Amino acid sequence: MTTQWPQITALLLGLCLMGCGPSGLRPEQGISSALQRSAESRRWPSMGNRWLASIASRNGRERVELVNLRNGQPVPLPGINQADAQPISVSVSADGNRIALIRSRDGRTELMLYRRGVGMLQRLPIEPAGVPREVSLDGSGRLLAVQVSRQGRWDVDLIRLP
Amino acid sequence: MAGCSGRTQRAPRSLLPEQQQEPALSGDGSKLAMIVDQRGRPTVQLKDLRGGGRLPLRHLNRQQPHSSPSLSWNGRYLAVIVQRGNRRLVLIEDRLNGRAHPLRLPSGRSPVRVSLSPDGHQLAVQTADRGRWQVELLDLSGLLEPDRPGGLRRSTAAEPQP
Repeated sequence: MTTQWPQITALLLGLCLMGCGPSGLRPEQGISSALQRSAESRRWPSMGNRWLASIASRNGRERVELVNLRNGQPVPLPGINQADAQPISVSVSADGNRIALIRSRDGRTELMLYRRGVGMLQRLPIEPAGVPREVSLDGSGRLLAVQVSRQGRWDVDLIRLP
Repeated sequence: MAGCSGRTQRAPRSLLPEQQQEPALSGDGSKLAMIVDQRGRPTVQLKDLRGGGRLPLRHLNRQQPHSSPSLSWNGRYLAVIVQRGNRRLVLIEDRLNGRAHPLRLPSGRSPVRVSLSPDGHQLAVQTADRGRWQVELLDLSGLLEPDRPGGLRRSTAAEPQP
């Protein structure tokens, strides 16, 4: 009976390693390689369901980009990227229709909402006034959490959107 | 434009004035994860926006500093970057069955930011490679059950849902 202990221990150890290890984790090589090839640098990923928003750099200029992960193709976002604006943080709704972003423009840091269906970029006021740093949209794109600097401290504001 | 200004409120906070950073909403907008200073250590906290309380996290009282939290649709899964020894790695806590999934990236790189898709199917990870930011995409469908609106929950809960 005692001779079976090493086998049982090995079996339990194996089961533990299977449960704790990276099994079930698969790199999506095709899309990942395409993302790396299509930009000099890419940061700030935000996932919807089969949508990826990020800040991509080409020719030294950073732009907000949205990729449809079903086909790996970027979709047009007319009006979201402006020549004099630098994106800082980005977040996309689950269906890819709304994108919240923080950008720096003319020395100001602004919280913006882009609605893809109408191609419209709108500035969202922050009240009381503060400097936004990081943004998160919920799945519907109708609730937004934003990290704001006020008088030397970081707060998180929640903003309900129509 | 005025129709999109939204209504602002502050995130619920404890009596102690704590810095709130890196907000992340669940897909359904019911939960908010953020990084707060806990005795000088950046630690992820999860708040219930409907009930107003703080929700327990079984595996995330250690391995600070934490950064870049991300939630699935119902908040079943919380992905966050943690420190283990001298390594940064992604840890996904399954709040339904109490399991933790520590993920080492197949590329061997260190995670800088993560974003979990609302359904828990994919994870986007920002890494650094030879001085440039990159985004790697991972398929988690072999690791995690989906977390969709309405909830597909095949696991047996180890503890009641908060």
